[in-house]
Amino acid sequence: MTPRPTDRLSPQPGERIDRSTPIAFTFDGRPVQGLAGDTIASALFASGRRVFSRSFKYHRPRGLLCCAGQCANCLVAVDGAPGVRACTEPVRDGMRVKHLNAFPSLDWDAMRAADRFGAPFLPVGFYYKTFIRPRRLWPLYEKALRGVAGLGRLDRDQHRRRWRTDYRRRHADVLVVGAGAAGLRAALRAAELGADVVLVDEGAEPGGRLLAEGGHERAHALVASARDAGVEVLAPATALGYFDGIVPVWHRDTLHQVRASQHVVATGAIEQPLVFAGNDLPGVMLAGGARRLSALWALPPGETAVVATTTDDGLEAAVALLDAGVRIAAVADMRPRPGGPAVGRLEEAAIPLMRGATVVAAEGKNAVSLVVLARVDGNGRALPGSEIRIPCDLLAVSGGLAPASSLLSQAGADGAYDAASGCFVPVPELPEGIHAAGAVTGLWSEEAIELSGAVGGAAAAHALGLGGDGALKELEQARLRLSEMRGAAAPPAVPPASAGHGRDKCFACLCEDVTTKEIQQSIEEGFDSIELGKRYTTVTMGPCQGRMCQLPSIRFMAGEMGQDLGVIGTTTARPPWSTVPLGVLAGRPFEPAKRSSLHARHRAAGANVMWAGDWRRPYDYGDPKAEVLAVHERVGLIDVSPLGKLLVRGPDAGAFLDRLYPNRLSNLKPGRIRYGVMASDAGRIMDDGTVCRLDEETFYVTTTSSGAGAVEEWFSWWLATWEMQVHLTDVTQGLSAVNLAGPRARDVLASLTELDCSNDAFAYLDGRRAHVAGVPCLMLRIGFVGELGYELHFPAAFGEHLWDALLEAGRPYAIRPFGLEPQRVLRLEKLHVIVGQDTDSESTPYGAAMPWIVKLDKEDEFIGKWALEEASERALETTLVGFQTIDGGVPREGAAVVIDGAPAGKVTSARFSSQLTQAIGMAWVPAQLAQDGSRITIVDDGRAFSALVSTKPFHDPEGARLRS
Amino acid sequence: MTLEFLATDLSRATDAWRPVARSAIEPCLRAAGARFEVRAGWSVAASFGSVEAELETCRTRVGVADRSALGKLEVQAPPDALKDVIREAAEGAELELGTAASSAGAFWCPITARRALALTRPGDTGRVRERLERAAARAAAVTVADVTTTLGALAVVGPQARELFARLTALDLRPTRMPERGFRPGSVARTPAMVLREHGDRFLLLFGAAYGEYVWTVVTDAGQALGGAAVGADALERLGEADDRDGRARPGHIQDVGARA
Repeated sequence: MTPRPTDRLSPQPGERIDRSTPIAFTFDGRPVQGLAGDTIASALFASGRRVFSRSFKYHRPRGLLCCAGQCANCLVAVDGAPGVRACTEPVRDGMRVKHLNAFPSLDWDAMRAADRFGAPFLPVGFYYKTFIRPRRLWPLYEKALRGVAGLGRLDRDQHRRRWRTDYRRRHADVLVVGAGAAGLRAALRAAELGADVVLVDEGAEPGGRLLAEGGHERAHALVASARDAGVEVLAPATALGYFDGIVPVWHRDTLHQVRASQHVVATGAIEQPLVFAGNDLPGVMLAGGARRLSALWALPPGETAVVATTTDDGLEAAVALLDAGVRIAAVADMRPRPGGPAVGRLEEAAIPLMRGATVVAAEGKNAVSLVVLARVDGNGRALPGSEIRIPCDLLAVSGGLAPASSLLSQAGADGAYDAASGCFVPVPELPEGIHAAGAVTGLWSEEAIELSGAVGGAAAAHALGLGGDGALKELEQARLRLSEMRGAAAPPAVPPASAGHGRDKCFACLCEDVTTKEIQQSIEEGFDSIELGKRYTTVTMGPCQGRMCQLPSIRFMAGEMGQDLGVIGTTTARPPWSTVPLGVLAGRPFEPAKRSSLHARHRAAGANVMWAGDWRRPYDYGDPKAEVLAVHERVGLIDVSPLGKLLVRGPDAGAFLDRLYPNRLSNLKPGRIRYGVMASDAGRIMDDGTVCRLDEETFYVTTTSSGAGAVEEWFSWWLATWEMQVHLTDVTQGLSAVNLAGPRARDVLASLTELDCSNDAFAYLDGRRAHVAGVPCLMLRIGFVGELGYELHFPAAFGEHLWDALLEAGRPYAIRPFGLEPQRVLRLEKLHVIVGQDTDSESTPYGAAMPWIVKLDKEDEFIGKWALEEASERALETTLVGFQTIDGGVPREGAAVVIDGAPAGKVTSARFSSQLTQAIGMAWVPAQLAQDGSRITIVDDGRAFSALVSTKPFHDPEGARLRS
Repeated sequence: MTLEFLATDLSRATDAWRPVARSAIEPCLRAAGARFEVRAGWSVAASFGSVEAELETCRTRVGVADRSALGKLEVQAPPDALKDVIREAAEGAELELGTAASSAGAFWCPITARRALALTRPGDTGRVRERLERAAARAAAVTVADVTTTLGALAVVGPQARELFARLTALDLRPTRMPERGFRPGSVARTPAMVLREHGDRFLLLFGAAYGEYVWTVVTDAGQALGGAAVGADALERLGEADDRDGRARPGHIQDVGARA
């Protein structure tokens, strides 16, 4: 049945809608027309919709409750994004809105059976009790439960989620949270005194209660003044939590990380629901919610209303609804003697006012059609003969206000139960840099609330040294006036913890579908503290984050246990204060990647690019075997720009390196290169590379690609400790480096430089500086790939120029670029170690078959010396060796070396060498097997490989080709 | 000179070779439709189509331009010696942590008490380096390194510049905390970086050159979300001329990085 649209009321003062601008959108695929200024909820309400969602567990129909973004009754999905609060989300042309948590439709939900028949299967803490046995059925249970759990679904296809999210860091002098009267005054005052202020508010527009309660002109004036004073106003924006001074604020698609020096918390107070039988029926609204619906969107929340209240707020809401044209059938006030102008107005209008009474039940099939009012005893039971049954379609309830103090609590403020107001109120002593203003501090009168805002703003500015003596004097006077205003408002009555037991479910927590009966059961089962009860029943753990259910559940627990509310206490306030999409928390994805200056050339050459540490590097250029053969037979070119490159300079540079490396470097001659392995304090291998001495006081140190950052930090740390006359400059990213390798490498290089490249003039382990193709280069004659090779280091800005020049010069020799994979094969043929691949955190130079690199006879101390002396005196248990498999199979890296059926070592590298036509690798084996020709067995995933150990390189073991 | 292999200005053009220095960002600039010109030995993105539109972007939103060609010289020394050397090389400029000095055709930016960075026009790099090396030779324990290619650089110019940075860094760039010529090392887009406020809404972002493509991508992405766009050296040059007319430019300003040498 198509719902009957609701006629808008006559124009309301301060209404938010623009009646001349229609907005079209869809709800569950059907067209809906709203007005500019509508929220999704108000537009749907105007279209006649009363059921907005289905409850979490029992799938009971739920309608609008707060109309302020506090509860979870109107959660919908918008354009694929679930969890959107319809009552604060403005309508936009073309938006696609869908319901959550109902099947097949919102109006007829098959899962409603859980409400009627599910009780035996869904007791409190059911996940500890049911759906457990028989255990073999758990996969079935799990699938079914997962299918019905949760609120909304994300599109599995990531690419179809098109919304953009951003982080924005906002430094400020003062952050004011809450833009009601207090927050606006605080922001304005702080800005007037010269502070840089950010003001955030959850509402669709700033103004708080002023907007719907006759103060919209005052709100607009305050907002305009604040903006004129330079205040940045964010709304709708939720302050999600307080993290040691950083407050994340969710504002549309942006997460603002607000870092303010001072914080003014003016988050107000939240109207509390009443707990009674059927308190979740559509048509049961908070009095403030009903008032907002009529005042802001000109919608009558019902035709015939009953109001049940414990405070003046409810009475004032009744008058406001009456003025808006809603028929008020009756008003029940828990207080025996309510007073004030609202009572007079109701009496003038001949509205029945039941004193000392409350609502004990709401009845109806899918919406309220009748309410039961009564006087109640201390347990919320109706006194005999006091019940009155009143037909209506709206029940507006007001159970008093609870300060929204979560943010204050997270900042370290304490709270205490205030019996006079029936709620928990923050104590006045607040942490440094934190100020509170308005209803959150337990102030209820309009005048006091606004004055407290001015005090909070001025105090924050004063803490920053702004304002001077005059402002300070004003602040002190205002504080004095404020202290005289406390407690001026009429005190509320404390409602019964629950009324109407036995008639229908009484919900203490609407989000999680937790009834008072379930809390009672949890107490009987021993979960008799509020923290334990929270975890067991999940009360306060839903999307409202306790805004609607913390105080009612504490009241109920206190009543059941016969304790004072102050003894029961509150649960720990934890962020987030509101639900927030994970995508907003994640922000834009950042994936920092380093690329060499040759990256575009690699791409153009068809390279397969891979991650290597934080670099993007060519794995190969499509044919790794051919690339290996090119290096062996002709000439190849590889980009080795990611190698770490450090300049070590100063009078103590040689001595500094001697302390860092186990071998001697201070006696290196200028223009010569030496290999070095760096050891940790424990004598374990950290990194390796080459050191070239450029002049007496200048060394050029290369490191592994992935170890560059760590080595630079290691050097810097020791330099700061030793205070030697040395300067470090990391030029890793500034210099490109290529390795020109192969028997024709000299021919290629010689055609591009005036330098004498003959073996006599430029020998193995020589370093030379010269121009190559016009580019100033440092050339290192070293070889990692087993052939004659030159490593050219030069300004990265010339990367493409030199790469192109080398390839052009190598064209007569059929030069090929080669990638990391061929390089790994080539170095394996030479048994060159890759630190981190063939070594681990326990490997010493002795174990890695490099005892020659440790110079224990060095005069001075060096890092790891003691540990290496110890290691040199102990027999090795395992040693790194080469191996070749007998059947040509290639075990995977990590495969076990097995001796007598037990693991005794592992394979670190293995490849098939096309050059050698055999499978080769490196492995840690028991030291007694580290002899040429020893036979070992390698087991990889059940497959056994017989292999022969080799302690010498497989290719060019004497290094003749390297030195040629 | 021992470290000539660091210096782009020491390349040699011959009949056979004419090396042109290219920024690490050039592939991105090319993909964005930049028109290139060789200026002071560097391939520079002169514009992306309409200099007028780019100027408008810089005046009303935010423009992002590659300035990696700027000369960058690192000086290391003990604190007092560092001040002395900079004072001599920069014609009396005084180093103060947090603030760059603008003098003798360069910005002199203190990174720490022992390390400073000189930023020069591309055509001036060799001259400033030689001046620094001469000053360093007269002092003890002072070293100079040309790190022009180690650091990439982007100009971020316009009224939305701070908003753009707010998407990428927690550095506080409010005018009260980052006055003109303010210089801050920090982290931008999760990479080590430094930010210089040249003047007004004109910022210079320095970062590891190997991150060039990444930084360009995230900075322009944030800029586009704010209505900004990539701009070329010509627009910056025109903007600099306008600043000169308005008396906004400071001695030694380097906005004419792309100026024809």
